[in-house]
Amino acid sequence: MSTPTDMKFLIVDDFSTMRRIVRGLLKEIGYNNAEEAEDGAVALNMLKNTKFDFVVSDINMPNMNGFELLAAIKKDESLKHLPVLMVTAEARKEDIVRAAQDGAAGYIVKPFTKATLEEKVQKIMQKLMAAA
Amino acid sequence: MKMEDSTVLAPPPATSGASPEVVYQQLGHLTRLLHDTLEQLGVMPNLQIAADNLPDARSRLNYVAKKTGEAAEKVLNSVDQAKAEHEKIARETREMARAIIADPVKAVASGSVMNFVGDVEASTARIDQHLTDIMMAQDFHDLTGQVVAKVVSLANDLEDSLVKLLVQAAPPDQTAKLMAHIAPVAAAASVATSELSGPVVAPEGRTDVVANQGEVDDLLASLGF
Repeated sequence: MSTPTDMKFLIVDDFSTMRRIVRGLLKEIGYNNAEEAEDGAVALNMLKNTKFDFVVSDINMPNMNGFELLAAIKKDESLKHLPVLMVTAEARKEDIVRAAQDGAAGYIVKPFTKATLEEKVQKIMQKLMAAA
Repeated sequence: MKMEDSTVLAPPPATSGASPEVVYQQLGHLTRLLHDTLEQLGVMPNLQIAADNLPDARSRLNYVAKKTGEAAEKVLNSVDQAKAEHEKIARETREMARAIIADPVKAVASGSVMNFVGDVEASTARIDQHLTDIMMAQDFHDLTGQVVAKVVSLANDLEDSLVKLLVQAAPPDQTAKLMAHIAPVAAAASVATSELSGPVVAPEGRTDVVANQGEVDDLLASLGF
């Protein structure tokens, strides 16, 4: 596994503004290595062709939504180890529970703060380090 | 509905000098006929759903107005504060340059240079925070974009129902002409809609949604995640 600051993130969101915000925040908290995908289908293709360490994904997206992407990642032997942090405006309890049951590593509801993103990413990182 | 059927909508013949009760009954009869006909045409349920969603569309548009207003306010406040910090650094830099030119040894020995360095560091940290706030304020684009998409979907549903009503009520000789005109409209209206709900625009009184990140964390913790 890469060292924390070298870890490669994939940011998945259909809004480029949000991708840039997440990317900017990750940079501020020490993670400079990130790429972007505009929906789940594009993300899945990138994940199959390039090595990533961490996925930050929206849920409500065209073509393939975040739940479908999460399911595809967890079904794929070569990808299922990847932590997937959901960052979404979906605030229904059933969606939050579903994400957790489907294997999401964390759930952030929009609008969020830099402190929230940092806390969730660090928490997931600590679990990864402990498991390594 | 075809034109030949329209006779069913004709009211019972009114007699001159009919009493208000009779007129009222005839109006009631017409209303009932119209309602039943629309029901039979299958238009009414969809039209009703679209009409029922109009208040939701209003609250969604209010949410968009509120979010964009808040974002603009946040950005302008942050810009004001960052500009004030910037002005302060520029002023202190000019003063420091004058002090160094006048007596460089005194400027260093008196601690002015080190104070200035400390001030610059603190100011740039505050400016950096303002820039982060400006970046975060742009999240309104994502949130309002999702809400606008829902409103567009509702407008499409309403349009679709009205178009169907128009086609079914048109005279037979006009139907083909009408179809040619509305086909592009119908195609545009048939956009895919998401089953996901998007941002919660009115969380008050709802128990099926969370209001903030703390509630998300509590919910997940209660389930052992």
